[in-house]
Amino acid sequence: MTSTATSIPFRANAAEALSNSPLRAAMRNATETFAKKRTEATASLPIEEWRTQASDTRLRVLENLGEYVDRFSANAVRAGAKVYRADNAESAVSIVGSILKDRAVQKVVKSKSMVTEEIHLNKYLETLGFKIVETDLGEYIIQIAGEGPSHIIVPAIHKDRKQVGRLFSEKLGCEYTEDPAALTKIAKKILRDEFLSAKAAISGANFAVADSGSLVIFTNEGNGRMCTTLPPLHIAVLSIEKMIPSLADLPKFMRLLPRSATGQMLTTYMSVITGTRKAGESTGAEELHIVLVDNGRTKIVAGEYREMLKCIRCGACLNACPVYRLVGGHAYGATYPGPMGIVLTTLLEGMEKAHPLLDATTLCGACGDVCPVKVPLPELLHKLREERVERGFTPYLERQGMVGFGFAAESPQLFSLGQTVARVFWPLAKKIPGLGALERMPIPAQITFGRSI
Amino acid sequence: MRVQLFGTCMIDTFFPETGMSVMKLLRHFGVDVSYPKGQTCCGKPANSGGYARESRKAAEQFISVFEGSKDPIVTPSGSCASMVKNHYHHLFKDNTMMRDKALAVADRTYELTQFLVHELKVHEAGLSGKGKITYHASCQLTRELGVKEEPLLLLQSLNGAEFIPMPYADRCCGFGGVFMAKMPEISTALADEKLDTVLSTGADTVTGCDHGCLMNIADAVRRRGARIAVKHIATVLAEGLK
Amino acid sequence: MTREELVNLFIENASKVSAETVRVTTDAELNGALTAILADTKSVFCQQDTAKEKSVVIPPDKRIDDYTGASVCIEEVAGAIAETGSLVCSSQGGKPIQAGLLPGHHVAIVSAENIYEKLDEYFGALGDSPPTNITLETGPSRTADIELTLTIGVHGPGRLTVIVY
Ligand code: SF4
Repeated sequence: MTSTATSIPFRANAAEALSNSPLRAAMRNATETFAKKRTEATASLPIEEWRTQASDTRLRVLENLGEYVDRFSANAVRAGAKVYRADNAESAVSIVGSILKDRAVQKVVKSKSMVTEEIHLNKYLETLGFKIVETDLGEYIIQIAGEGPSHIIVPAIHKDRKQVGRLFSEKLGCEYTEDPAALTKIAKKILRDEFLSAKAAISGANFAVADSGSLVIFTNEGNGRMCTTLPPLHIAVLSIEKMIPSLADLPKFMRLLPRSATGQMLTTYMSVITGTRKAGESTGAEELHIVLVDNGRTKIVAGEYREMLKCIRCGACLNACPVYRLVGGHAYGATYPGPMGIVLTTLLEGMEKAHPLLDATTLCGACGDVCPVKVPLPELLHKLREERVERGFTPYLERQGMVGFGFAAESPQLFSLGQTVARVFWPLAKKIPGLGALERMPIPAQITFGRSI
Repeated sequence: MRVQLFGTCMIDTFFPETGMSVMKLLRHFGVDVSYPKGQTCCGKPANSGGYARESRKAAEQFISVFEGSKDPIVTPSGSCASMVKNHYHHLFKDNTMMRDKALAVADRTYELTQFLVHELKVHEAGLSGKGKITYHASCQLTRELGVKEEPLLLLQSLNGAEFIPMPYADRCCGFGGVFMAKMPEISTALADEKLDTVLSTGADTVTGCDHGCLMNIADAVRRRGARIAVKHIATVLAEGLK
Repeated sequence: MTREELVNLFIENASKVSAETVRVTTDAELNGALTAILADTKSVFCQQDTAKEKSVVIPPDKRIDDYTGASVCIEEVAGAIAETGSLVCSSQGGKPIQAGLLPGHHVAIVSAENIYEKLDEYFGALGDSPPTNITLETGPSRTADIELTLTIGVHGPGRLTVIVY
């Protein structure tokens, strides 16, 4: 049961990514810049204290998640929203589909949301005949390129300006330019018309506030604000673990999320949306539908990987990960890449499909150090590796090798015999396919240290 | 002062001369070093691979070899020290007796530079050195054990040597135990990046506290044909003894 | 912290996030500042609800009633946060807060007495029934989605002027 037909071919994907030099250059530039900005943005602040507080708040929510979700739903309804619960991806997409069908809209503007990627919402809505327009610039780029996001914050991180320039001139028929400002202007103009004519919008949410029923959305470009203020119909799709207790808890996360994500003190915009437009108001959707997606979370929160759901999707662990920095997000073959992605994908999609991802880490611990809510990523990765072994998802030869290791480790005689055998057969063993790593190690010493003293 | 040395399987098998440097160094500072018989491997490779049963066997062996004494256990490896100090007790969470024993050996365990600085004050001894030296801060040493300053204090104290800090010193070199064998493409690419930063310092020697990483870096040096020595910190320090 | 220190802290932090800042204390100063700011603009939207908005004088040939077509929006915002240099825009009292988003230049008037020192002060006091939309605006609209090159003015305004009054 090593790599089944349905499991993600991470190693092959990674090898391909490694030979893609524009990708590697773009990844290096981006992750390096982000990691540096994050370090600068968190220097000389009581960051450890903030992390502990934020982690505690998130844990408190997860310990009683059902209750927080209920409270949020009741308060959102009180403020004029309609709330739906979706147990899985299929029900989530069909809820959204039927809301749109009932309103006879054709086009939907959308602001960036990872959970809609997780449930493959765009694909479903497109099969129903809706036109979906992604409005975050990065999302827009990958949408017209026909790709998925390769980073949870900067979805087009893997493309350089030349690639974006070629893409725009090819797909949008504009003149080639590789100036980011000019490219941004082109997209802005197209999207402005889409915003003003759209009758429906879909957004995600960074947080959902239980006590007030509010949604909180962080953006830099302003597209989130457009989506949530211009069209009369707003559908928000979010996973259930996004809850925070009250608005008074929000500053904790405002301080950490942008700093960890992009090194900004705060994103340009942060909107708190509570229900629908009230009498006498001139802002807000006339209809607000909130789809709360479970898709396996209730099960995760009850088990030993609960802390993964503390994640606030800042992307810092991606930028810090040596493996992610090299290969980029697409190699992970899943919605969420990087360290948090390995854990979440395994939990959401199952060991059978995701087990090769568990090799995509050196367990260096850099991810755990940067996480603003102290998700114990190295611990969770390690725990999943143990589960993979227990459930028989490691290669046969590796398992046999480890059994041999176990015997030798508890028997010094056998251990030293093993050392002798290794030394004698080293030149031969190097030639065995799959033992290429020996090539990179020195030849065992003639006399071991133990015997030389 | 008496000390029990855990040599590590890697030094035992591949780098006995580093083990000799450790002995020489400790003895020079008046330490009575013993090398308990029967030691094998701390279990780290199996543990990081997720093989709890096999790493437990290694841990049991380690505990049975070292538990009879109250002396400090010193080991010239950040990842082995962290295995004993941070992971052993997790392996025995369902066995109180073994867990207590695991915690007891963990308490006595020191990574070499920790011991040299905090117990022996070697950084104040005025050892000598030569050339330009840079340092790779290995992952478990830095992040799990929190040993960040000790190696720097030691290297900066060497008379006659110039210590040059490496950019991103604590970034993973791509060794990762089983990772090296399972993901060779990424592992070598990371080692190559590490070597770039090593060479950017202009140093003639790169050192560190873990032979796993140093081996991986040495392989990158070999592949590139670069001219730089790769030495364990114990060797660098032992060379400076009169 | 005195009111004036708070104002100064806010102005300092708003400048750090690339907002242009002006401090005025009289209607005359306000209009003086605006004349300079509006010199080259074609169309200005201002709802003129609050007392300070009412004292704004807009040349009749520049006034426009539809914010979607305006090049500038002048409005008094609900408040500001000194710690982060952010404006607090609120839908309370019938404000169309998207009006400050669509035009390329947002001119926000902040009353000095509505500046909070910390985020916690503001959000701690909001309670459980906030207005439909509260938006914190911190500097001009930006993106770094192409090679992390900072580009100002994506969907929102590329220019933000803050007038503390
Ligand atoms: S796990 Fe932590 S660091 Fe990674 S995305 Fe989530 S919150 Fe950010």
